[in-house]
Amino acid sequence: MTPPEVMLAVKVLFGAPVAAILFGFFVMRRVKPEWTHLPILASCAAVTAAAACLAAYTTAKHCLELPVWTWAVAGDWGVAFGLRIDGPSSAILAMVAFVGSLIHVYAAAYMKGDKGFARFFLVFHLFFLAMIGLLTANDYLQLYLFWELVGVSSYLLIGFWYHKESARKAALKAFMTNRIGDLGFLIAVLMMIYAYRSTRLQTVYEFMAAKPSIYTSIIALGLVWAAFAKSAQWPLYYWLPDAMEGPTPTSALMHAATMVTAGVFLLIRSWPIISAVDGLPQLIAWTGALTSLGAAIIAGTKKDIKRILAYSTVSHLGLMMLAVGLGELGTAAYHLIVHGFFKAALFLCAGNIAHAFHQSTANVDETGGLRREMPFTYGCFLAAALSLAGAPLFAGFFSKDAILDAAWHHGGGLRVIGMLIAFGSAFYIFRMLFLVFHGDRKEQSRGGRHPHEAGPEFVLPIFALSFGAVVLGHGSIREWVSNLMTYGMRGVPMVLIRLKPYFDLPGEPALPALNWTVSAFGTVLALLGAGAAYYLTMVDSGWDWRWRGGFAEAVFESDFGYKIIVGWGARAVSWTARFTGRVLDKNWWDGLLESSSDVLREAGNALASSAQGRVNDYLWWMLAGSAVLLGRVLR
Amino acid sequence: MPLTALWTVPLLGALVCAFLGSKARYGALAFSSAFLALAGGISYLQGSPSALAVLTETGPQWAYGVCYRLSADSLSLGLIGLTAFLNLICVAASWDLKVSAGYWACFLALASALTGVFLARDLFFFYAFWEATLIPMFFIIGLWGSSGRLHAAVKFFLFTFAGSVFMLLALLALVSAHHRVTGVWTWDLGSLDPKTLGAAAPYVFWGLVLGFAVKIPMVPLHTWLPDAHTEAPAAGSVMLAGVMLKMGVYGLLRVAIPLFPDLSVEMYPILGGLAALSTVYGALCAMAQTDLKRLIAYSSIAHLGFCLLGVLSRTSQGLSGGTLQLVNHGLTTGALFLMVGFLYERSHKRGLSDFGDLASRAPYLAFFFGFATLASIGLPGLNGFVGEFMSLSGAMSAPFPIFAFVGCLGVTLAAAYALPAFQVVFWSPAGPDSVSAKVSDLDFRERAILWILCGLMLWIGLAPKPWLAWFEPALRGLVR
Repeated sequence: MTPPEVMLAVKVLFGAPVAAILFGFFVMRRVKPEWTHLPILASCAAVTAAAACLAAYTTAKHCLELPVWTWAVAGDWGVAFGLRIDGPSSAILAMVAFVGSLIHVYAAAYMKGDKGFARFFLVFHLFFLAMIGLLTANDYLQLYLFWELVGVSSYLLIGFWYHKESARKAALKAFMTNRIGDLGFLIAVLMMIYAYRSTRLQTVYEFMAAKPSIYTSIIALGLVWAAFAKSAQWPLYYWLPDAMEGPTPTSALMHAATMVTAGVFLLIRSWPIISAVDGLPQLIAWTGALTSLGAAIIAGTKKDIKRILAYSTVSHLGLMMLAVGLGELGTAAYHLIVHGFFKAALFLCAGNIAHAFHQSTANVDETGGLRREMPFTYGCFLAAALSLAGAPLFAGFFSKDAILDAAWHHGGGLRVIGMLIAFGSAFYIFRMLFLVFHGDRKEQSRGGRHPHEAGPEFVLPIFALSFGAVVLGHGSIREWVSNLMTYGMRGVPMVLIRLKPYFDLPGEPALPALNWTVSAFGTVLALLGAGAAYYLTMVDSGWDWRWRGGFAEAVFESDFGYKIIVGWGARAVSWTARFTGRVLDKNWWDGLLESSSDVLREAGNALASSAQGRVNDYLWWMLAGSAVLLGRVLR
Repeated sequence: MPLTALWTVPLLGALVCAFLGSKARYGALAFSSAFLALAGGISYLQGSPSALAVLTETGPQWAYGVCYRLSADSLSLGLIGLTAFLNLICVAASWDLKVSAGYWACFLALASALTGVFLARDLFFFYAFWEATLIPMFFIIGLWGSSGRLHAAVKFFLFTFAGSVFMLLALLALVSAHHRVTGVWTWDLGSLDPKTLGAAAPYVFWGLVLGFAVKIPMVPLHTWLPDAHTEAPAAGSVMLAGVMLKMGVYGLLRVAIPLFPDLSVEMYPILGGLAALSTVYGALCAMAQTDLKRLIAYSSIAHLGFCLLGVLSRTSQGLSGGTLQLVNHGLTTGALFLMVGFLYERSHKRGLSDFGDLASRAPYLAFFFGFATLASIGLPGLNGFVGEFMSLSGAMSAPFPIFAFVGCLGVTLAAAYALPAFQVVFWSPAGPDSVSAKVSDLDFRERAILWILCGLMLWIGLAPKPWLAWFEPALRGLVR
């Protein structure tokens, strides 16, 4: 890669999506809306090629920091935007571009004939563009810009079928929750400007290395809070399961590539800040671990197939957070990449099922034994599920076991929780697999529908994704990610000796070698989970319907009661707003001001004897009053 | 001469329009265009903002030191440009209204008076122009408003007039104290010496602030605004929100802060606190509204709270951001009010629950409304964010950074009122009493207006640097 080629790749990375969106919006949407996806698919191809080039460039141990334009200046304050292509950004960008493009291809088939086809593709691509911008930003304010753009695009996509009340509610919930998280980001960025007069990543890192201060804690906490919202961690995870109200390609893109990964990426980017605050990494690790375990349990109780996958995403994001909190950034990024592949494949399989049923999602009550009608979908689902559960030699095995290994070495409660998660993941995904694709239960009824395998335009992207979910565990790929992360976080070529202590991360090289003890334990627990799922769905096949109803379901449906608390919070805010707006402001304060004219009139009547309504009198009174005031002022 | 022309051209237009009868709108269009061209031309000829030569015109001295004195620095010219731009937008947006010639005359007269406020450097003329703005706006609300227009017009007039009385007293005290100590009568902003006031200075400062704060409006002096906005015709709301509210902040920047630089720093805990409160209070009130126009009106209170927070922080980024937010708010809220006006023209309703499903019926309207809503809630990349962020950043660097944190909460709450309202009007299915069927999509003229406004929002959001640089020279001296 020569420098001009790199520059070309960078230009294509942004130029292609922007051009495709503008062309689609102004030309295709009017002229031929059903072809809006063509320029966008071309842009996907170009972006993927560019991302591959940049990944190759960084693999050859180059980094790029490119100023682009000065956004705002005032006094000694200024923000300049630019690009930072280094290890973490190029590694994750390569995954996002590839997986995202495949989902675009799938979406073209899935959304065909929808009334809002053009609108869908434009927003879909905007979502993609926002993520590219987020990954390559070299400045926290710029990152925030794309971060919010990701939020808005997801809002528009979740609410895409806005005629459904559930979609409207889910969209609002997602946006508001992310907005609450963004509060942390906003405060962090404001604090950076106050403390360091800069929001450029490199400058902030240098300040961190030089002297962490009280502001560091606020900045780090704010960023972690924002990441918890975006990456759906407790206490702000609750928007993600509802967010599957959007069309299935949206869910796939959101869960695999473009949205929820942003939070993990932010923490990887901000590691020099976070690691400088005592106790914060532990907080992240524990939050991630507990969220992961809780979500894995809930995922095992859901009936809606997309909802199971959504809780599974929360669980896996929790694992990534656990890795980040333990300082295993490379492991977190590696699991993020592998997760992108298998989760996208799983969601698109769910999309195939929903499509076969002609509805937006499907329920386990309506499925069962689908492997006969949809053998290809079944095969892809099985491969991705094995990867998710961490079956040996599948990609998920390597990425998850690296995290379990980190938890194992950390010891204590995290060691136990890690193993429980391994069990839970295998349980929920195999429960879903058996309920959907196997068996013939009396509780399940298709309601007269005859599902059939989807066409090649549906299955080819899924095949590519599940292929990735199988082979990404290959040694060379692990080594590649490992090298990129270690080296990228070192910030070469901006070698900063002072930064050394902060970049000498624990667990170097970024991916640990396979630990056979942990792998054995993990595999056994996964087998146990899958076995339990088999027993409860195939042997004792009515179990899933028997335990429903009553207290247990209420506990799981409300996420152990947390959803109720969130509901109280939302109601408290809207009550405060209604009280402020209608009672305090309108009735009391404005009422008081308006009634003052009545009071004056009453007083006027009382004083009528002294005032006969002659203008002359009033003018004298006014003059006298003004004179008194003036005299008081001038005295 | 050019400065006098700036405020006399629209005034002349108002007189001409008044006699044109049914053809008045053509006159209004011609004079509004001429006014914008003149404002743009003067700004252009002043050259690059950093080398901005401050144009000044001085007339002969009158009795008691009153002197016709105009001056235009980048702050004045920027706000005059905004006035001229929004005035033309208003004329274009009202083009098909069945209104008498007086309507067009009032808008031009309003533009003239506003320009006078931004130009005057003699406090007598400043006050005269200040009060002159009330008259056309009183008629715009009272004659062409909706059902509750009379009450709203009177309330608007009384509130702002009451505020102005304190301002007048403060100005009189200032001028007479100056005369008592120095023996010179003058109303010149540049030569008045507030030290002559001695111990009375805080009273005069608060008199001025009271006059400006009612106009802005700062919580708790804001209750005239929702009524006035709700009842005013759409274009009236645009001018009211777009420019008239800005007079208050301009007054602080031009009169109160330069005259009392130390007092305004001393009083920052109170004023900044009220500004921060405005951002949250306005947002909470907006959440409770069921009328689209009232909702946007309350959101204005919140947005002006950001302006105020930035300006009062007296830091370079706060002043720049707060001032840019004046322009931003004019564009964003102006666009929103226009669109509510378009809805009202078609259906004679503006309650949230009167509509539904408009995204399917009027996709252009939905697109532009969504765009402006996102700008209004401070989405980075659009204009609203720049002003809010820089204002908050300024407040963060000033004492009491807690105000900045409160302001951040206001940013978060903005989404909580704007998006649900957008969803109810555009996404929810139309109810049985819905008037959505009457709402046709925007025509070419309306779309053109909104393209211009939205294009500017995007431009300022992505590249605010030249805009900030434009205002910077006028604000440099105000940094604490």
